Amino acid sequence: MTLKQEGRSYRHIVTAVIIVAIFAIGAALASVDFLAMHRPDVIHPSAGLTGTGMLSDYFEEIKGTPGDTKLYFYDSGVPGATVLLLGGTHPNEPSGFIAPVVITENLQVSAGRVLILLQACASGFTCTDPFEGCPQSYTLQGKSGPRKFRFGSRVSNPLDQWPDPLVYLHYPSGQQLSGFETRNLNRSYPGRPDGTFTEKVGHAIMQLIEAEHVDVAFDLHEAAPEIPIINAIVYHEKSEDVALGAVLELEMEGLHYSPELSPVNFRGLSHREWGDRTGAMPFLMETSNPIQGRLRGRTNEDLIVKGVSERYKQALESGALRIEYLPEGEPLERRVGRHIAGFKTILSVYNDAHPENPIVIENLPSYDELMANGIGHYLQ
Amino acid sequence: MSLELIILLAMLATFALGVFVLKVPAGVSLMAAAIVGALVGGEGLPVRHLVEGGFGFLEAILIIASAMIFMKVMDATGALGTINYALIKTLYRWPTLLLIVIVVFVMFPGMLTGLSSACILTTGALVIPGLLAMGMPRLAVGSLIAMAAVFGEVAPPICIPVMIIGGGVDMPYIGFAKPLFLASFPLAIATAVYYRYRYLGTFDITTVLSRLKPPVYDKHGLKLFIPLVVVVGYLIVEQVLPEYVPHLGVPLAFMIGALLGFGTGEKFSFLKVSRSAIRDAMPVMAILVGVGMFLQIMTLTGVRGFLAISALELPQQLKYLTVLIMPFLGSAYASASVIGVPLVFVFIGKNEIVVTAALALMAAMGDLMPPPSLLCAYAGQMVGEKNHFKILRQSILPIVAALVVGLAIVIYAEEIAHLISAVSGSSY
Repeated sequence: MTLKQEGRSYRHIVTAVIIVAIFAIGAALASVDFLAMHRPDVIHPSAGLTGTGMLSDYFEEIKGTPGDTKLYFYDSGVPGATVLLLGGTHPNEPSGFIAPVVITENLQVSAGRVLILLQACASGFTCTDPFEGCPQSYTLQGKSGPRKFRFGSRVSNPLDQWPDPLVYLHYPSGQQLSGFETRNLNRSYPGRPDGTFTEKVGHAIMQLIEAEHVDVAFDLHEAAPEIPIINAIVYHEKSEDVALGAVLELEMEGLHYSPELSPVNFRGLSHREWGDRTGAMPFLMETSNPIQGRLRGRTNEDLIVKGVSERYKQALESGALRIEYLPEGEPLERRVGRHIAGFKTILSVYNDAHPENPIVIENLPSYDELMANGIGHYLQ
Repeated sequence: MSLELIILLAMLATFALGVFVLKVPAGVSLMAAAIVGALVGGEGLPVRHLVEGGFGFLEAILIIASAMIFMKVMDATGALGTINYALIKTLYRWPTLLLIVIVVFVMFPGMLTGLSSACILTTGALVIPGLLAMGMPRLAVGSLIAMAAVFGEVAPPICIPVMIIGGGVDMPYIGFAKPLFLASFPLAIATAVYYRYRYLGTFDITTVLSRLKPPVYDKHGLKLFIPLVVVVGYLIVEQVLPEYVPHLGVPLAFMIGALLGFGTGEKFSFLKVSRSAIRDAMPVMAILVGVGMFLQIMTLTGVRGFLAISALELPQQLKYLTVLIMPFLGSAYASASVIGVPLVFVFIGKNEIVVTAALALMAAMGDLMPPPSLLCAYAGQMVGEKNHFKILRQSILPIVAALVVGLAIVIYAEEIAHLISAVSGSSY
């Protein structure tokens, strides 16, 4: 080796060492943020809580895994209907999580019982989606001080299920979706006991519905303002009378919801599979969430909480797309308020249709109260 | 001028400065552009976002690394050279047919996996030596393979951009085979014929064969092809019979194939072959890390939304031209997700299946376009061209043709749907 070659080789080694050191420091700094996503959110259930359990109580195999999640029981002790409320199916849809949190922290039940899974896709709360530039958490002001909640991924953490297939084949229909959807809980139903991590969670939820004889089941979501199924109640055909009755009642209260019949040929979704395979009447509700939209501008915590996006305002004014977005924004209060109003109204209409099997709930804020007082007023 | 436009220009200027002036590798330039974008956008140095974006293409990186090792093993055992030799010796009398067969052959892995990169790294690598030996210019060979890879990504049965768009608009992946066939195969064949008459002159088959590596089939027999059969067979069976075949992931399938190379042909050192493969793949893998960071910062700072809204806000008369923005979103998948989904809604009223198939074609062109020009980078690596933008320049004509066809399919989506219905008897 000549002196010149030796010098070049030495320079290469120095360059490599510097680059490795830079990347190691970056990885160490980032890992602090990534690990913070594994700290659980703190919940303060209301005095109406009568017990807790785990999802794994219904399917042992997920016990101790990141798919296991807490189940809250609100049992009045008075015979009546059993209601299941699922939050956090998609952990990047905050009102789908915060509305059940508000319910958990305020609910009183005087007939029947309510079961709440706050973080149905618990694994998805431990990471964010690459390329989406999303914050990892957001803070709401509760009665006892600031409350921090995680903003997660639409799907299970790849650390819990990986690699994705190129094409996801839904079991048992064989429907094809992009490989990413293999970790999407709301494409996994009915799941299977020997399936993927996400399919096992889906299976556990199906087992829960069956074992607890759930009569009415809710799955709360959000979607981008440009998606047509927005500010909507998606219902299975057997839930049609209740859904349409609720839409009418909500309309009279000044809240518009589109009734959307669950498509028969789109498999794996809660509103389809729960309805087809269990005795429950399923309802899925969607609100408009700019942080999920493709047209959004800067992606930050403000966008989650205040829901103000200049780009969506621009799109609304130009009429380039049919979007569901209010010029003043889509704040979290409004989105949570809509979910709670929908939840209460559907149960009220259910009671009218099934007086022999009532579910009576109390102490939940109305839409107007949430808009007037803010979410924090209803958080501990 | 909006802040987002300033951020975008700063990112592009940094990238151009790095690549063209400072001669820094494209991957490093993209990382620098992402950092500059974050700084200009007032985000400081968002380490978590840079790392998250940098890992966004981890699976693609593993596929490239393992596929490169697999193909180097196939080269070392003599399987690659033997296939090339047989292909040319069989079809040299019909050069037009030869080129068409080669293009469809290159498309094949993309049709099965939905990955354009798989086309270049597997079947593309197989045919490149033969095309070069026949006297086709290096840049033309790279360009032809890159275009075939794009068409393979679009062609049925598996088209990931359509699935991504479908996932965004809740449209199941049903009924896309014929529109996707229409959006890919005629273009692929036309491209093959064009390259045949434009770049493939007359050649003396004896000279061509003498330039190729000698076949080793007589020495090793059919066992030479065991690794190829196992890998391709696994990828097919995994799609067709998922109930019975465990999902190993594409990288593991390639690595198993590479290990199966032992004893099937000529002897080789696995360590040497692997080092050589990773060294070759490194620039492309660095581009993927850089693109990931670039895309993450674009979203964080609002540039992605700015691009999407700018495309959608073009005047009514220019509505169709918005689809021409699709190839410039960094990659096929990013394009399908960011602008493909809203565009389906823009064209509501037209046959959505045909429109989505055309949008997938436009999105797939994104794998060729700068700043990353991923397929051009892969192809450049394969044909030994360091400046992959030369491959892009070489591909301008077929790219324009593909864009025109894609645009025409969107414009005439209803008529095409009726035509498909009439021919196939199925409703669209």
